[in-house]
Amino acid sequence: MKKKRFAITNMILALFVLTVVLPIAVMIVWTVTERWAWPDLVPQVLSLRALSEIFRRSEALAKLFASSIMISAAVAMASVVIGTLTARALVLYEFWGKRMMYFFTVLPFMVPATVFAMGVQISFIKLGLNNTVAGVVLSHLICSLPYAVRLMMDGTAAVGDRLEEQARVLGASMGQAFFRVTFPLLVPVILSSFSMAYIVSFSQYFLTLLIGGGQVKTFTIVMVPYLQGGDRNIACAYSVIFLGITLAVFALFEKIAGRWGKNTDTEFYT
Amino acid sequence: MRKRIFALLLAAAMVLGLAACASSGHNDGKKSDEKVSGESSSEGAEDMTFDELKEAAKGSTVTFYGWGGDEVLNQWLDDVFAPNMKEKYDITMERVPMDIDQVLSQLSGEIQAGEEDGSIDMIWINGENFQSAKENNMLYGPFVEKLPNFEEYIDTESEDVTLDFAYPIDGYEAPYGKAQMVMIADTAVTPDMPKNTDELLEFAKNNKGKVTYPALPDFTGSVFVRNVIYEICGYEQFLDMEADKETVKKAVEPALEYLRKLNPYLWNEGKTFPDSSTTVDNMFADGELVLNMTYDAFGTSVKIADGTYTETTQSFQFDKGTIGNTNFMAIAANSGNKAGAMVAINEMMSPEIQADRYDKMKVLPVVDYNKLSDEQKEAFDKVDLGKGNIPQDELLSKRLPEMPAQLVPVIEEIWLEEVVGK
Repeated sequence: MKKKRFAITNMILALFVLTVVLPIAVMIVWTVTERWAWPDLVPQVLSLRALSEIFRRSEALAKLFASSIMISAAVAMASVVIGTLTARALVLYEFWGKRMMYFFTVLPFMVPATVFAMGVQISFIKLGLNNTVAGVVLSHLICSLPYAVRLMMDGTAAVGDRLEEQARVLGASMGQAFFRVTFPLLVPVILSSFSMAYIVSFSQYFLTLLIGGGQVKTFTIVMVPYLQGGDRNIACAYSVIFLGITLAVFALFEKIAGRWGKNTDTEFYT
Repeated sequence: MRKRIFALLLAAAMVLGLAACASSGHNDGKKSDEKVSGESSSEGAEDMTFDELKEAAKGSTVTFYGWGGDEVLNQWLDDVFAPNMKEKYDITMERVPMDIDQVLSQLSGEIQAGEEDGSIDMIWINGENFQSAKENNMLYGPFVEKLPNFEEYIDTESEDVTLDFAYPIDGYEAPYGKAQMVMIADTAVTPDMPKNTDELLEFAKNNKGKVTYPALPDFTGSVFVRNVIYEICGYEQFLDMEADKETVKKAVEPALEYLRKLNPYLWNEGKTFPDSSTTVDNMFADGELVLNMTYDAFGTSVKIADGTYTETTQSFQFDKGTIGNTNFMAIAANSGNKAGAMVAINEMMSPEIQADRYDKMKVLPVVDYNKLSDEQKEAFDKVDLGKGNIPQDELLSKRLPEMPAQLVPVIEEIWLEEVVGK
């Protein structure tokens, strides 16, 4: 019985390797490939053209990454703060219009960005927010907040406010009760919603283009034309960098969260 | 309670701080000086002479919006054209990679919102996009007569310069480069290249499942179908045809018949077509297809030099010719820096820049060879076109004009209904 389960897990693992790792491996090979025609198993023509072009622009790309990561981190940070507050309001309190409020928070899930982007653009131009980083951050928030709120709601519902009340009974102030009792318990969920919001923002193309007017340049803005342009080695080189940086940023998140949440005993909220 | 509020304020301050440093880190203050100079230079750009425009544009930034999927071109714009503009006119060029659909949607958004100091200055455009932008008053002009290089080096009477897909330009666009459809095959795989549509049908029969074209409305797929229509139905009748679906359908029926006859021998038996010309490019490079087609008439040699195509790859045309067009530069109606844009466009039409584009990217030049000095002619003559290209005089002698822009979407619609999967 146990052996059989082992076999199934192995099969799933193999499938995972096939669908995720294999394409990534092929992508890495393509960064140095000019021609790889059927039916050869190895590329016929290799070159460093794509890589040398990327290295040539490495300074500009480093700047681009710094600003992309900044923008996405700002979006993720704001999403978490707003998400936590909204989730607390929706889960722990009763007030008039609560269901409506809830509906509004998930509305951007249901309406595709292409539908509201034009309206957002015109409003932002009127407000003077177009072509600014602040405008881009705000527009990304529209897309990332539903995820953050949804995740934080589940987390808040699981943690509840009983422990916080207990802390209050024992003499903690409201702030102390939240930051020393609830917050550490919420760290894993906060990390998930932070990452989710970060990813949504980092890979956002259409809204960034429209609100940023092409003047707020993120990595996605520069990368997508190459994906569409069909120059596979350059597109692959960009994709590999995109993947690498994203993984690095996530490893960093994990590390930071590990330090914050090391006194967390997850049994409270499972 | 107080502590909690304090904590919230702190968190908010952190977020804002992040956003602020992201913004200051990114803009480098470019936007602000662009605004200042933009305002001063767009005032009455209509009445200025070219020297006054040059003076007004000094120290300003010009944004150039256009397709950004060609690394060689991007590199050239960043490393050759931009430094040249900076040195000669003290103008900073900012290339913004964006598809034309998005450029126009952003522009229309800005105009609707009444933005007068718009972010878009120069636009790379042609065809139906130009027509719709001009008809919706989204472009600035007429401006080309003001540019000395336009008057001096360009054949202002030729239809390549006065008409864009048979639509009168009226001075709202300046030529940027010429394109012409060519087909590409590897002579080592298929030694005989089809010279007309009958031979193309034979070619498809002999290479069953290895020939196809990009699904319309892809630019290249669309021009291929128009070229087939020209071959079979002649091209003269289309130049003044009304964009009425029934009329067009009747006129192109023999060509549709031919395309349907071609279907069973195509890739996937013509039930579906590759989504874009870039997909077809890659399929051809991979050997999955034996025929490729492109608007980039001299691009084959660049790809052979890179190693994407084999040494034996050769571009070719139909005997009756292939469709060529010109791509243009226009200025947004609400551009914040019209003077700078005009100076940049003028520079782009200079023989030196055109010769450099011809040399580095093999773009067909827009300048009139006969108007050049001997020295300038030499710069063009010495360019080595490389392998796999059709000689320029032969290519241009078999150049057919584009159809009126408004017929293009009609044909695309008819193709979708009458050809795919039939």
